Amino acid sequence: MKLRMNLVLLALAAVLLFFLPDLLKLFFDKASVSYLSLLINATSLAILALSWDILARTGQLSLAHAAFFGAGAYSTAILVKQTDVSLWLGLPLAALSAVLLALLLGSVTLQLRGIYFAIATLSFAEVLKAVIQKLPSSLAGGAAGINVEPLFRPQFIAGEMERWEIAFLRNESYFLLYAGLLLATIVLSLLIESSSLSYAFSAIRTNEEVAAVMGVKAARFKLLAFVLSSMPVGILGAIQAHRIGSVSPDETFNVGTTVLALVTPIFGGLYTSLGPILGALGLASIEEFLRRTFSEGYLIGYGIVLVLSILFMPKGIMGLLRSLRKAQRESL
Amino acid sequence: MSLLKVSRLSKQFGGLNAVQNLSFSVEEGMIFAIIGPNGAGKTTTLNMLSGLLTPTSGTIALNGQDITQLTAAARCHLGLGRAFQVVQPFPEMTVEENVMVGALFGARQSKQLALNQTHAVLEQTGLLRLKDTSADDLTLLQEKRLEIARALATHPSLLLLDEVMAGLRPKEAQEAVELIKTVNTSGVTIIFIEHVMPVVRDLADQVLVMDYGTPIAEGSYHEVTQNPQVIQAYLGTDEDAA
Amino acid sequence: MDLTLLLQGILSGILASGLYALVSVGLALAIGVIGIVNFAHGEFFMVGAFLAYQLFISFGFDPVLSLFFVAPALFILGALIYRSSIQFVLKAPELNQMLLTFGIGIILQNLALVIWGGDPRSISNVPYRSIGYQVGGVSIGLVPLASFLISIFIVAGLYFVLLKTPLGRAMRAVAQNRTGASLVGLEVNRIYLLAFALSAALAGLGGVMIAVIQSPTPVVGFAFTLKAFAIVVLAGLGNIRGILGASLLVALAESLVATLVPDGDSLRNAVFFAIIFVVLIVRSRRQA
Repeated sequence: MKLRMNLVLLALAAVLLFFLPDLLKLFFDKASVSYLSLLINATSLAILALSWDILARTGQLSLAHAAFFGAGAYSTAILVKQTDVSLWLGLPLAALSAVLLALLLGSVTLQLRGIYFAIATLSFAEVLKAVIQKLPSSLAGGAAGINVEPLFRPQFIAGEMERWEIAFLRNESYFLLYAGLLLATIVLSLLIESSSLSYAFSAIRTNEEVAAVMGVKAARFKLLAFVLSSMPVGILGAIQAHRIGSVSPDETFNVGTTVLALVTPIFGGLYTSLGPILGALGLASIEEFLRRTFSEGYLIGYGIVLVLSILFMPKGIMGLLRSLRKAQRESL
Repeated sequence: MSLLKVSRLSKQFGGLNAVQNLSFSVEEGMIFAIIGPNGAGKTTTLNMLSGLLTPTSGTIALNGQDITQLTAAARCHLGLGRAFQVVQPFPEMTVEENVMVGALFGARQSKQLALNQTHAVLEQTGLLRLKDTSADDLTLLQEKRLEIARALATHPSLLLLDEVMAGLRPKEAQEAVELIKTVNTSGVTIIFIEHVMPVVRDLADQVLVMDYGTPIAEGSYHEVTQNPQVIQAYLGTDEDAA
Repeated sequence: MDLTLLLQGILSGILASGLYALVSVGLALAIGVIGIVNFAHGEFFMVGAFLAYQLFISFGFDPVLSLFFVAPALFILGALIYRSSIQFVLKAPELNQMLLTFGIGIILQNLALVIWGGDPRSISNVPYRSIGYQVGGVSIGLVPLASFLISIFIVAGLYFVLLKTPLGRAMRAVAQNRTGASLVGLEVNRIYLLAFALSAALAGLGGVMIAVIQSPTPVVGFAFTLKAFAIVVLAGLGNIRGILGASLLVALAESLVATLVPDGDSLRNAVFFAIIFVVLIVRSRRQA
């Protein structure tokens, strides 16, 4: 019932997103290019955050999401470099390699909880980064990395289009791809929320032993969450590799990716589908605003926002919305 | 054949023998009590039965099947339910959702059937009107009822209850006793740990007394309370008293 | 295998473990006593390094002298941060604490970037930086040796405080009994404040030494946060005594790989985290 309503809303959102680039172009002309960039950032952040949240719903606080991202990016980059197959084959391959990695990491960390789990996953990601760097340079490019072909080459006639229009076309294609992946991830998250999986996930998160005694096969659900969480991130890594044009151990396996994956859902509201998305929109816009306003040292402001958000809205944007709604209901 | 057969069960923590050479069996339909002073190894025994602890040695058989090596979830699927001493509801869920976990994953049924069964169990345990309350907001008695409701929802043939009376007022304890009796009449065999002796007297068909990890007596309530070893264990020896 | 090289590796490892222990023991204090998951810990270390650098540039302070200025400065910084934010999230979920302290870390790091820029800075022209001793083919730098001794001295001092003084007893009591049956709320809060400030000061002292040994940039802090966390987790949460052993293990492994394996220097991080990973996994399997 609720699921059906959400899916209808999502379909409307999909239509809106599809026309969004053209609307932006209509209203903002040249500036639409940078608005699209901002939207791409927000969308990719939302994919990362929502995927992380899916795993967190089982109580597993992963610090390994940079590894899934990197695995997706590198498998695509290597495929594209070594073979002549279609560029698009890289995306399912990226999903597959992220899933395999998740199964491996997930099955060895089943017994670990809390901060022990977090540090183990972080260590795994750091080791993987070093392994990639030490692979034969003819395969993975060593510390320098590999160049990756773009997925989209805008068709244009020289002289008839301005530079920004070409940039717009490029951004538009990527934006639609990111938006599609985000919508797919939201559907995944909504399906989990409305199925019996959500009961198993929260039971395991709150008390794994009690859950087990009540018949919940915790190991199976934890692994499943790992797999579902890693898949979109792997694909995201692949798309990003195409858009940026290269992969390298330090950039692609950046611990910053991991940090954003957890900061965003906390800021937006944990264990929901909407929270991580609101968090991503909020944080991406705040960062952009601060960058334009303060340029140097703008991240100081970003840090202040994070600190204030925990002090004044400990349950994230979702928590704030919930208490506003409650206050409104009581005042009526 | 007994429903549950425990043979020469032992558990060591480091050098400490928490449970030593414990054997007993429970017949179907029975209410079976395990009593003993603090530290006698009662909860450790229950943890081994439900699969939260692996025994150092010995075997546990349910319906003739050896379950010693099975996980807690697998044992639940074979009909072993468990309510905890320290009530541990999932605080972020409502009462209904708490029970749903057991109905979905313990009794392994579709969402619609699980919901029906959840409502039946909530009715039976007197929690139906609280179904949408957050488990965080319950009183102690309601929490204990929820603890039992969750275990019942897993569809157990054998229910393990760990001191469900602790902290209840006499009138509330009486209500809980009635609840346990109803559950038993509906066909569920029960093993319970208890400190409150009148409750043991009212409920138990058979009583096992443990002290320092070993069984010291087994029989009817009347038999074990007359046993000199049991009296000594409860009152302490003269040296202890001094 | 070259025996001299092996000895060199072992010795460098032992010397490096002191600094690891100093930084990690502060974090262990924050986690063990206060129960706060502090992701800004490495930034205290970074601030210590750059304060020492600034004292050297502006006033020509010798780093050894700076120790006596940096420790109280970081103590005050820690106390201010505790009062203004940490004390409000003591009972909040771990994830909230992570985000809050992470935000504090971002603020400190970017303030440092604004003040000192992104280039590596070092206190390089102190006369004793180049002094070294040769013992049977193995070389020992004075600076690593001194930093090891100072670190161990401070860590030993902390152990002494924890075990033998009333303040230490209070800290251990608070750590073991969060409900604080015998302590009034005000007092608990004061002990938390002291523990957090002390934890920042310890990291700051480590920073002073890194400014002489290496050439840190303002972004060095987060890497040290992660390493300190790894060491604390390796020792076991709340096990402050285990820090020395855990630091020695990872420092030795890092150093042996760096000296014995060709191109091993680039593998330092990998070895560090590989050990943490393997130990955590093996330990969790054995317990199950």
